[in-house]
Amino acid sequence: MNENRKKILEMLAEKKITVDEAERLMQLVDEPETSRETKKSPKYLRVTIKPGEGGSGSDFECVNVRVPMALIRAGVKFSSLIPGDAADKIDTAMKDKGLNFSLKNLKEEDLEQLVAALSDLEVDIEGGKGKVNVYAE
Amino acid sequence: MNAPPMLMKLHIGRDESRGFSLWLPLLLVYLLILLPLLLILLPLLILAAILLFPWGWGKAAILFIPRLCGVLCALRGLKVDIQQKDRKIVYISFD
Repeated sequence: MNENRKKILEMLAEKKITVDEAERLMQLVDEPETSRETKKSPKYLRVTIKPGEGGSGSDFECVNVRVPMALIRAGVKFSSLIPGDAADKIDTAMKDKGLNFSLKNLKEEDLEQLVAALSDLEVDIEGGKGKVNVYAE
Repeated sequence: MNAPPMLMKLHIGRDESRGFSLWLPLLLVYLLILLPLLLILLPLLILAAILLFPWGWGKAAILFIPRLCGVLCALRGLKVDIQQKDRKIVYISFD
């Protein structure tokens, strides 16, 4: 029995807390610490391209891009200023290029969910001369 | 909102001797270029917002400058680094 649980039972015995409170405290103590910690939101989106096994290091161009998440948030907020008829023209142009994406679907309310989802994003592509990594940190 | 970046580092070119390098203190840009431009444009933007409101462009005109400032402040930390043979070809950084 760990120290925290002992203390909770002692407080219950001394009637400093009620049974319900003791139960809630026990549940919190039993939860693993990692799930209680709030996940830190990522600060940067990184894109790196490095030479792979087939790539020659001397001729290969290595790319390292670091984009602040704040810039992505600001960009989405900026795109919300686009009036409806202009947004429709942009959507049509993107569809013509094969991108089936609507600017109207990108909303500020969904922004934090998008950024939180990016924290789990990890893309590793390895093929030919280079390796591409996309991840959030 | 973060503070806007204070220094921009720019390098373009494969060769150190032929390439173009620039370290620009952005505070000077803000004080000498952006701020006067803002003061000149603000009354025009307000007028444009009033005139264009019936067509749905009013909100865009009013919020343009605050949102642009937001994008500017968010640039801090942006880094683009392209190298070949351990030599920088393109390097852009906002600190």
